[in-house]
Amino acid sequence: MSTAAIRSSPWPARAVGAVSIVALFALLEALIRTGVVNRFVVPLPSQVLAAIPRVIAEENVAQRFWQTTQEVLWAALFLALAGIVLGALLYRFRLLRLACETWVGALAAAPVVLMYPLFLVIFGRSAATIIAIGFAAGLPAVILKTVEGLAGTRQVLIDVGRSLKLTSGQQFRKILLPAALPTIFVGFRLGLIFAMINIVGVEFLINFGGLGQLINEMAERYDLPATYAAICFVVLVSVLFFDVTERVERWMRRIV
Amino acid sequence: MDAAHRLTVATPASTAHRVLALRVAIVTSILVAWEALSASGLLFRDVVPSLGAIGRALVRLLGTPEFYSHLSTSAGEVGAGLAIGAALGLAAGILLGANRFAADAYEALIHYLGPTPKIIFFPVMIMWFGVGAGSKVAMAAVSCFFPIAISAAAGMRGIDRVLIRVGRSFRAGTWQMVSKIYLPAMRAPVLNGLRLGLGVAIIGTLLAETKLSNRGVGHLIIQAYATFDMPRMYALLTVVFVIAIGLNALIGYAGRRAR
Amino acid sequence: MERATATRLLDVEGITKRFVTAEGSLTAVDDVSFGVAPGEFVSVIGPSGCGKSTLFNIIGGLAGDYEGRVTVGDAVVTGPHEAIGMVFQEESTFPWRTVLENVAFPLEIAGVARVERHERARNFVTLVGLAGFEGHYPAELSGGMRQRVAIARTLASNPRILLMDEPFAALDEQTRMLLGDKVLKIQQTLKQTTLLITHNLTEAVQLSDRVIVMTYRPGRVKRIVDIDLPHPRDASVVGSDRFGRYVAEIWQDLREEATRGIEDSEAQARAGHAAR
Repeated sequence: MSTAAIRSSPWPARAVGAVSIVALFALLEALIRTGVVNRFVVPLPSQVLAAIPRVIAEENVAQRFWQTTQEVLWAALFLALAGIVLGALLYRFRLLRLACETWVGALAAAPVVLMYPLFLVIFGRSAATIIAIGFAAGLPAVILKTVEGLAGTRQVLIDVGRSLKLTSGQQFRKILLPAALPTIFVGFRLGLIFAMINIVGVEFLINFGGLGQLINEMAERYDLPATYAAICFVVLVSVLFFDVTERVERWMRRIV
Repeated sequence: MDAAHRLTVATPASTAHRVLALRVAIVTSILVAWEALSASGLLFRDVVPSLGAIGRALVRLLGTPEFYSHLSTSAGEVGAGLAIGAALGLAAGILLGANRFAADAYEALIHYLGPTPKIIFFPVMIMWFGVGAGSKVAMAAVSCFFPIAISAAAGMRGIDRVLIRVGRSFRAGTWQMVSKIYLPAMRAPVLNGLRLGLGVAIIGTLLAETKLSNRGVGHLIIQAYATFDMPRMYALLTVVFVIAIGLNALIGYAGRRAR
Repeated sequence: MERATATRLLDVEGITKRFVTAEGSLTAVDDVSFGVAPGEFVSVIGPSGCGKSTLFNIIGGLAGDYEGRVTVGDAVVTGPHEAIGMVFQEESTFPWRTVLENVAFPLEIAGVARVERHERARNFVTLVGLAGFEGHYPAELSGGMRQRVAIARTLASNPRILLMDEPFAALDEQTRMLLGDKVLKIQQTLKQTTLLITHNLTEAVQLSDRVIVMTYRPGRVKRIVDIDLPHPRDASVVGSDRFGRYVAEIWQDLREEATRGIEDSEAQARAGHAAR
C-alpha cells in the first residue's frame, strides 16, 4: 500500500537546532554580563570567539597543527603496517587466530592510554611517547577489522584463485586483500581516530607536542578565553578529521 | 606425511586443546623473554623489572589498606560519573530516537563531538568543579555520555514498532512507556553502550587523576612514575587492566544474554 | 440492514481518511458508517488496499486527522480509549516478559497491585487455554500461542469492545480455524462485543453475527450481511449448507473488489517499470 507518509526535509529541523544553540550561547553571554554566572569561571563567549584569531596568530598554531599531524601520520604508518600484517597473520594461521583474537578484543577494551607514564620512562618526554601511545591505542581495531575483512571474502572468489592455481602469495595480493580492502579501511579509520584522540590527549597530559600542548599551556597561564578558544579549536580540528575520514570511507565503499 | 594427515582430520576437541597449548606457549614465551630482557640490562635499569620484582610489588600493593582507599576513591568517581552520564545519555538517546525533528536538529552534534579527546576539557572541569573529586566525576560523565546516547538512540530506532502501539493502546503514561517498554526492548544496545561508556569513564577519571590529584589510582600511577618505582607502576597498571577488562567482559556477557 | 442507533455500543459515523503521498492525495477510507450492538460479533472484510487497517487504527484511537466520528457508548473517541481493547496483526507480545506478566500488563499500567493483577491475569491465561504456561517466555511458544497471549492481554484490560486486526493472519489454516473457534467460545462466554478486521471469508462467516463488506480503495461499505447461523457455533459449522451459501454470497461482492485491487496493482507495476 503506497500510503506511507513522505519523509519531510531535515533542513527546518537543522536550522532550528543551529539557531537554538546560538541562542544558548547568547543566553550565556547575557548571564555572564549580568553577573549571574561568574566571569572568572566561564569567560564571555564573545571573548572566547575573539581569542581564537589571537591564539592562532600568537601561538604559532599552524606549526603546532603540523606537529600533531606529523605524530598522527607516523602513528598511521605504523598502524597500517603492523595492523594489517598482524591481522593477515591471524587470518592465515587459524590456530593463532583462535588463540589470540579474543585477546586482541580484550586489548581493545583496555585503558591503553593509562600506560603513558610507562612510555614516558621508556621514550622520555618526546614525540616518540606520543606516537607510541597513539599506535598502541589504535592497533587492536586495525587488527580485528583486517581479520574480519579477510575472513569475510566470498568463498567463490577464493575458489576462482584456486582454480587458476595461484600461489598463496598471489592469492593474498590479488584476491583476498582487494576484497577485504573496504573493511580494512574501516578498521584503519577507527584505529586512526583512536590514535588521534589519544595523541592529542597525551600531548595535553605531558605538555609536549602540538595542539594538545597548546591547551595545557593556555590553562597554565590562566588565560581563560585563550584556554576555551584553544579547546574549541582542537574540537573543531577533530570534528573535521572525523568528517573527512568518514567521507573518504564512503568514497572507498563506492569505488571498490 | 603422517603429521599432515593428522592435522587435516583434527577434531573440535583436539582443536580446543591445541588452542590452549598455543596460548600457554605464547604467554610462557612472553614471560621468558621479559625475564631475559630484564636480566640482560640492555635497557636502562628497571624499565623492565624482573617478574619477581613486579610480583612482590603487586603483593605489597594489594596488601596495604591505603591502596584500597585510593581504589575506592577512583571507583566512586567512575561510578558517580557513569551514573550521571548514563542518566543524561539515556534521556538524550531516547529523545533523539523517538523524535525525528529532535534527531535532525541535534543528533549530528553528538555524532561529531563523540570522537574528540575529552581530557582536554579537564582545565574547564577544574574551574567549574574544583581540583577534587568533582572535576574527575565530571570528566567521567562527559566521557561516557556520548557512547551511551548514541547506543540509546540507535536502540530506540530498533524497537519493534508494534510494541510501542501496544503500549499506546493501553494508554501507558510517558514514564510507563520508557520504563516498561522502551528500556526493556533496548536492553542489548543499552548494555553495549554502558560497556563502552564504562571503558571511557575509567580512562577519563584515571587520566584526570594522573594530571591533577592527590588521591585515586591515577594519582598512584603518576606517583610511581615520579618516584621511579617501576615495579609498582607495572603492578598498578596490571590491576587497572585486569579490572577494566574484567568489567568489560562481564557487561559484554550480560549484553549477549539479553539478546 | 442497519440496527437502530439506540442499541449501538460502537458507532462509526462517516469516517473519511486521506493520505498525502508522492503521487498526490489518496483516499484510503471514504464515508464509512456502521454500528456494533452490545454482545455482537461483527467482521469487516475486504481485499488488500480497502483501508481495513486504517479503519482499525482510527477506531482504536491510534490515528488522527480524519473526518467523521467514532463513539463508544456516550464518549467520542479522540485517542486510545479504555473501552476499546486492540489486538494487533503482528507479533506483539513483549519478549522480555513471561506469559503471565504479558497478560498482566494492562493491569500494571492501571496501577493494580502485583498479587491481585497476577491473580486476575491467571484467569485470562486459563481462558485462552494456556494454563500451565504462565512462566514461559514468548520465544518458547508457537505463533498461535503467542497470539492467544496477546488476546488474553487485551481481554485482561476489560474492554467493552474488542477490536482485532487480522490476528490470525500469520497462522496456518488449521490453527487459524481452531483458534477462531476458541475466540468465538470466549466471546460467547464473556458476551464480549467484538469487531474483527479480516480478509479471510471463511473466518468472517464462521465467527460473526454480521459481516461488513468493504470496497477496494477508496474503502466504502459495499454491503452488510446478517449471518443467521445458530449459536453456539463451533468449527463444524463450516461444513453446513447455509454456511456455504453465505460464503458464496459474500464472495460475489468480494471477488469484484479483489479483482479491481489486482488490476490496480498490475497497472501500478507496469507504470513503475515504464518509469525506469
